[in-house]
Parts: sequence; structure tokens; C-alpha cells
Amino acid sequence: MTLKSSLAIAAGKSSYWFLHNFMHGGTSLPGKITLSIDPDVLQDLAKNYEIVIITGTNGKTLTTALTVKVLEAKYGAVLTNPSGSNMKQGIVTAFLTNKKGKNNKKIAVLETDEANVPIISEYIEPVAFVLTNLFRDQMDRYGEIYTTYDKILKGIKMHPNATVIANGDAPIFNSKKLPNTTIYYGFNQQADEEQMAPANTDGLLCPKCQQILHFKNRIYSNLGKYYCPNCGFQRPELQYQVDQLLEQTPQSSIFKIDGHQITIHIGGTYNIYNALAAYTIGSFLNVEPETAVNALSDPDSKVFGRQEVINVDGKEVTLILVKNPVGLDQVLQMIKSDQEPFSLAILLNANYADGIDTSWIWDGRFEDLPFDKIPAILTGGERYRDITFRLRVAGVPEENFEQKKDLEKVLEKIKGMPTKHVYVLATYTAVLQLRKMLAQQGYIEGGMD
Amino acid sequence: MKYSLKLAHLYGDLLNTYGDIGNILTLNYYAKQMDVQLEVDVISLNTPFKANEYDMFFFGGGQDYEQMIVSKDIQNKKQELSDFIEDGGPGLAICGGYQLLGKYYIGADGQKISGISALPHYTDSQDNNRFIGDITIKNEQSGDTYHGFENHNGVTYLGENEKALGTVINGHGNNGEDGGEGAIYNNVFCSYFHGPILARNGELAKKMLLIALERKYPKANLSQQKSLEIKPTY
Repeated sequence: MTLKSSLAIAAGKSSYWFLHNFMHGGTSLPGKITLSIDPDVLQDLAKNYEIVIITGTNGKTLTTALTVKVLEAKYGAVLTNPSGSNMKQGIVTAFLTNKKGKNNKKIAVLETDEANVPIISEYIEPVAFVLTNLFRDQMDRYGEIYTTYDKILKGIKMHPNATVIANGDAPIFNSKKLPNTTIYYGFNQQADEEQMAPANTDGLLCPKCQQILHFKNRIYSNLGKYYCPNCGFQRPELQYQVDQLLEQTPQSSIFKIDGHQITIHIGGTYNIYNALAAYTIGSFLNVEPETAVNALSDPDSKVFGRQEVINVDGKEVTLILVKNPVGLDQVLQMIKSDQEPFSLAILLNANYADGIDTSWIWDGRFEDLPFDKIPAILTGGERYRDITFRLRVAGVPEENFEQKKDLEKVLEKIKGMPTKHVYVLATYTAVLQLRKMLAQQGYIEGGMD
Repeated sequence: MKYSLKLAHLYGDLLNTYGDIGNILTLNYYAKQMDVQLEVDVISLNTPFKANEYDMFFFGGGQDYEQMIVSKDIQNKKQELSDFIEDGGPGLAICGGYQLLGKYYIGADGQKISGISALPHYTDSQDNNRFIGDITIKNEQSGDTYHGFENHNGVTYLGENEKALGTVINGHGNNGEDGGEGAIYNNVFCSYFHGPILARNGELAKKMLLIALERKYPKANLSQQKSLEIKPTY
């Protein structure tokens, strides 16, 4: 290790110690300080680790957490970066603050922001790149899925010996020939049925001949058993697959991967993809199926904390962050699977962190909500008018429908909702504001860091 | 329903950026209130657009790659689309759709991409700049204020017989210079507005539906439809 790196690491560590003990936080500043002294410090920090990079639009955080869980079940402590700290500084901090495990195998699982893949790829030698999916995110972030994929590929191309572990149901991950060994995972849970995706689906062009892709099995958005009737381009052979879907509720999913039954304690088809990715990574790093199944089926609140259920005066209030069209649509599909009647609040802000263009709410199929099972619907937040009209167009019955811009009033209304189950869908800053109020009123501890 | 209208959703499976589908959902919402059954067909690659089969069209925007593919295919629909527009058929074109109805626009790599010149405007690009943010315009003919969200690199200049959809009150508009946003040519409305435009500005949706109804049912009494009150949504 060079003197410069040692100095940089020391400075970073002491700033972390200070921030952690006195300021209750600090996930990116120590990395920033370290990088300012030695921009190449990752090279030293990451040496001797088997590194797995996890990237994609949706599902990075949970896939990372589940992968860590699976790997730790076999190998003990695994290095990872905390949720959301997926830029370069956050990753440097993760290495700086890692407590040395007793195990011999040093593994790092890094959730990595798409645009940061080529940046950190310059300094580290990953054993695997995991690609969850690529959807249109907020337009004011990285823009087009093809541009984003090119950025990721730039990182992958620096490491032809790394294995690519990709969602095989996503056509884009089959669009460019790579020298890397590639492992695909996906869904094969039902008999083929010829179909096309709805008109507002992204990424439907065949990458070979630019015609519209068809599907024999479509899971959601453009994910599924796609094929091109014009040139024969089709989904690659899957090495790991969900071969049976047994039960889905908003709180859990039961399914089989290659015949092994798994229960994950979080709802949503998209989370099954995350579990499948974690299973595949585990298998790639020699974790036995039984070990992975047990790790994934563990109701670990630390892993599933992102979608939290809060007890508000006896009501089970599920607070769900919504941030982009595909994610929103999947959340709507998930809450629809509740067997009991439920109430619903949708809170829309349009600050920078929420996305300043609210048009994306139109890509969520609110039309599919079972309005007869939802006796109370509430819209709120700074842009409540936009979401209110969205719901009117979707056919919400006026007698069950209220609007409250002010989140204090939203919270009061939630307390009076007529069902035990309440779902609150909220954009990022609305989640923060609501959590702050819930904390002030003693329903939860602290805020969200 | 007493009336029915058929809408062509041009390249709906390729150009659908940020809530464009909301324009069609909104048209359908007001159509129902006007006793109109709205039927929607996606007209995409290799499917012909037949002017006499449709009462209106919607043409959204998309990613550069998809738009480039569309720019080639739409040349096969140029004649029928131009006929429809010249005959007074109503349509709405947003962002990329707006650009492709005109003479040309500039692609991501700086190349000139041909539209179908059904409308006389053209679109250049800005260097490393986009117009992003909330925008308000005033339609000079009706006096209506339209609200939207703009996010575009292209700068569009209108041609002969084209007037702006509105005068910019807040925001940038077509090119940040001449104070206009969008275009009106015959009964075709163009804009850079996300929002979606019809969801935020129901009056425009009503106007389009009325034009389509009057064309298809010239003898009908549309007083109920004309008196439909559009409540503010923004």
C-alpha cells in the first residue's frame, strides 16, 4: 500500500469515527475525504476481495441485501454498502469501515448506481456483474435505457473474465455480444401463451431487427419470454428459473426456484426477481440450494425493512416508496393481491428527489385497482391535484374519495380509515415528511437517515 | 353510447415517454361524459394508417433510438397522414411526435432526421442544454391558460400557416426566443408539454373531441357535448 493510500485511508477512517459517534451518520463523507487525498484508493481497499457488483434500475437494494444474507449463511460476514450509498464515495466508505470477519473468504457485495459502474470498475476486479433490469427512471436522472446500458457495458468491458449474471427476461441484456461468461435467470412458471405488451411499455424493439417484440409469457413491463416474430431473436436459455408461483400476498410470496420452495416475507413479483438474482449469485459462489432457500425464507426485518408496516392505533399501515412508472405499477399489482378490504392513500410531491415531472403517474394502471374492495381512498401531498385527477380517470368512486394536501391532515385521516389494512404509496420526500410526523407522534422511532 | 370515435395511437408501443398514455386515458374520460365511445388502435411499424378509417390521432414522444426507427417507418404513412391533416382531421402530437410531423429534427449524435413535412416547422438542437421545468402558456384564441412540464433539447421554429399553441407566460416554449409554445396547424395541435397535456388542460381534450364529432356527425345536435363543464385539474 502506498503512503498516499495509507494517509487517505486513515483520514477517511477517523472522519467516519467522528461522524458515526458524534453526528449519527456519515455514509459518504468519509469516502469523499479519502478520495480527495487519494483518488485511486479503491485499488488498495478492494484488493483480495471477491467482488460482486449489483446494478440496474429497480431492485438493487433488496437484491444486495438478499445476496449478503445468502452468502453470509455460508461464509460469515460479507462486506456491503448500506442501502442507497451506491455512488463511489459510499462504496469507499463501505470498505473503510468494514470490520474484519473471521472467515477466510473475503467477499464484497456492492450495490452500484448504474452510472458509477464504469467509474468503480477502473479500480476493482469484480468476479461478477449482476444486472437486475433497466427501466426508464426519472427523466431528469440518466435518461435513456440504452445510454444507461452503454455505461454499464463500459464497466463490464474492462473485465472480460468477470461473469455477467443477468435477468434473462429483459431483452436489453441479450442485445450485445459480450466475451464474458453469462448466466441468465428468469421466470418459467406457466405454459406459453402468445401475447404483446401494452402500448405504454418501454423497450419493445427487437435489438437485432428493430421490429416489435412479442411474448410467450410476460411477467411485467417488457420482462418475460420474449421473441421476435421477424428475425427469431429470443430469450436466451435460463440457467436458474422460477418454475412455480404458489401464493402471492402484499406481505409475502411463495414460489419455487428449480423445484426448491421459497417463502419471501415481502410482496411483489419484482421482489421474486430480486430473490432469484440472490439465489443465482449464491449458486455462482457455491452456496448450496438448501442454505440459500433457508436464508431467503428467513423473515429478517433488517432485510425487508424498506417496505415497512407501521402500527398506527391498531391499523397495519404499509408505507411504500414509489418513484418510477414500472415500480409504481408493480406496487399497484401487489396491493391488489390483498385478500381483505383495504384503504389507500397516495401522496405525491414533486421536489427534485421525487422527480419534478409528475407525468409518470399515468403509467401506473390505477384502472386495475379493485375499487369495490377499497372503502377509503385519499390523495395528498404538494401535487395532490395531479394524482387526484389520475384516480378520477381511473374510475375511483367519489363517495369513497378524499383529498388533503397537508400531510398532517393526511395522517389524521389515515387514523380514521375504516379498514385494518392501509397502504400508503408515497414519493421520496413525502415518505420522509410522513415518517417525521409518525416519529413525532411516537408511532416509529427516529427518522429515516 | 350515442356516438363513437376511432383514434389512431401512432407508434404507441414505441413512443410513450412519461405518461403519454394519459392523453388517451383523458380523452376517453371526457369522451364518456360526452356520450362518445372512443376506440383506440395502436398503429405502429409496418401497419398502414388509413386516413378514412380514423377520426383522430395521437402521436407521442420517445427515446432517441425508438424515434429514429419511427422516422424511417413513418415515411410510408406520410401521404395518408398528410391527407388526413389537410382534410381537417384532428390530432395531437407531443415532443418527438411534434418534431416528426415537421420537416426534420436533430438526433442525439447530431444527425439530421427527416420528419414527414406534413407541418411546416423544423427543429434544431441546443448545445448541452435542455429546457426543463414547469411551463404556463396562454392560448390567444380561446384565452385559456395551459399548464405543463417541458423537458426538451430540441428548438422548434414554426412555418407558414402555423401558429403557436400558446404564448409563453412562464417557461421556455418552442425555442426560448419567439415566445411561442407548440403549434396549431388546421386541426392538429402540437406541444412539448408533459403533464400529460390533456390531463392538465381538459379544455383542449374537449376541443379535439368536438372537432372529431363535428367532422363525423355534421348533422348531429352536439349542444350537450358543447356544454360539458371541464373542472380544473391542476
